[in-house]
Amino acid sequence: MQIIGEKINGTRKRVAQAIAERDAGFIKDLAVRQAEAGSAWLDVNAGTRPDLEPDDLVWLIETIQPEVDIPLCLDSANPLALRAAIGAVNKTPMINSISGEPGRLEKILPLAAEHGCQVIALALDEKKIPETSAKRLAIISQVMAATRAAGVPDERVYCDPLAMTLATNIHSAEVAFETMRGIKAAFPGVHLTIGLSNISFGLPARKYVNRTFLTLAIQAGLDSAILDPLDREMRAAILATELVLGRDKHCLNYVRASRAGVFDESK
Amino acid sequence: MTQKLIDAITEMNEAEALKLANELLDGGTPPLDVLDACRKAMEVIGERFEAGDCFVPELILAGEMMSQISEAIKPHLKQGEADQKLGKVVFGTVEGDIHDIAKDIVAFMLDINGFEVIDLGVDVPPKKFVDTVKATGATIVGLSGFLTLAYDPMKATVEALKEAGLDVKVMIGGGQVDENIREYTGADAYGKDAMAAVALAKQWAG
Repeated sequence: MQIIGEKINGTRKRVAQAIAERDAGFIKDLAVRQAEAGSAWLDVNAGTRPDLEPDDLVWLIETIQPEVDIPLCLDSANPLALRAAIGAVNKTPMINSISGEPGRLEKILPLAAEHGCQVIALALDEKKIPETSAKRLAIISQVMAATRAAGVPDERVYCDPLAMTLATNIHSAEVAFETMRGIKAAFPGVHLTIGLSNISFGLPARKYVNRTFLTLAIQAGLDSAILDPLDREMRAAILATELVLGRDKHCLNYVRASRAGVFDESK
Repeated sequence: MTQKLIDAITEMNEAEALKLANELLDGGTPPLDVLDACRKAMEVIGERFEAGDCFVPELILAGEMMSQISEAIKPHLKQGEADQKLGKVVFGTVEGDIHDIAKDIVAFMLDINGFEVIDLGVDVPPKKFVDTVKATGATIVGLSGFLTLAYDPMKATVEALKEAGLDVKVMIGGGQVDENIREYTGADAYGKDAMAAVALAKQWAG
């Protein structure tokens, strides 16, 4: 399971403030803690208005990069900001994201192809997020045709079936699972990822919903997720799920995590 | 009896609420009194939501109860005896953005606070806002957007409304929208949550 650490996101109030005030210490600390907690990538989202976003994103990258040795996941739909960011990174980044929207495919996919980036592909198009898994799969098929045509190998594509909140549609998790199984059947080489916390938007006691959803999603083929790597209970749930599903040979990851104190309540 | 209806709605007892509403109407309670009870119930739900004691799925269920009770009331209303509204608000998520939950919550809160809300949905192009304001005579426009991508379409919508010479006040909100973004888009005000939107609308409807 590859974790994309979600915390450096300018749509969160405290991070927005740190970006506006150029509070490098706050950002560095978030980066280091997420990397130490086992993130494979750090998502970086400036969340600022379009004219400021390129500069803000580059500042974030230059602040984070000297502190950690994992690659970044550049989270923007703004081609100008992405281009500036790609110029500033020192490891091949992941791009978050493309989708079935023609504008995004035309402007962002070539960047991913040219720089050898991994890319997150969302199962939505310019119309909206389809309610059925069949329609989401149709969009992913269209996006995959485009990524293949652009020369991006399937294993660099991370398909996101989209987790919509259960608060407004009680079947939204089932739709996500069906979509994941459909994508894996049609494109066995791709990865599956998901922006996790949406699933529980508008609900109380969200962590239980997030954790249970993730556990079931791993069984449906999820091998990556955008989440809070500092949530120890979530990490414990992921480790246990992978063990139960037979994906942790000799139970080594689980045992090592135990020795490292991941399950230690007092830590 | 109307207190029972209020309780049934606020306790989310859908079947009970509908039964009570029908009993009240059939028993001769004036339809406007039933509507008033509904509004009181929605106010309670709105307050609980703001306080974190009530959640999105309950808002949705409350909305469904409201529309069912409204349907039941319609045949009982005399001609011209309609609900008095404070004003009309044209509302939607701007072009390029498809986030709807926060928009729906604000539309809901405006509605229960006495505004007629014309909800255009998500990914709404500027022209549709302009056309709808012209068609309805609305005096307030609410633009919602979660993504940073929404700021340019917000700006374009404010400009389109101005170019069309429409006398409307525009509020924006969602995601990281703040005073800085308000200035960027040229909107009249921004609201940080649903209650702020209601306060602005009330102020503008004056």
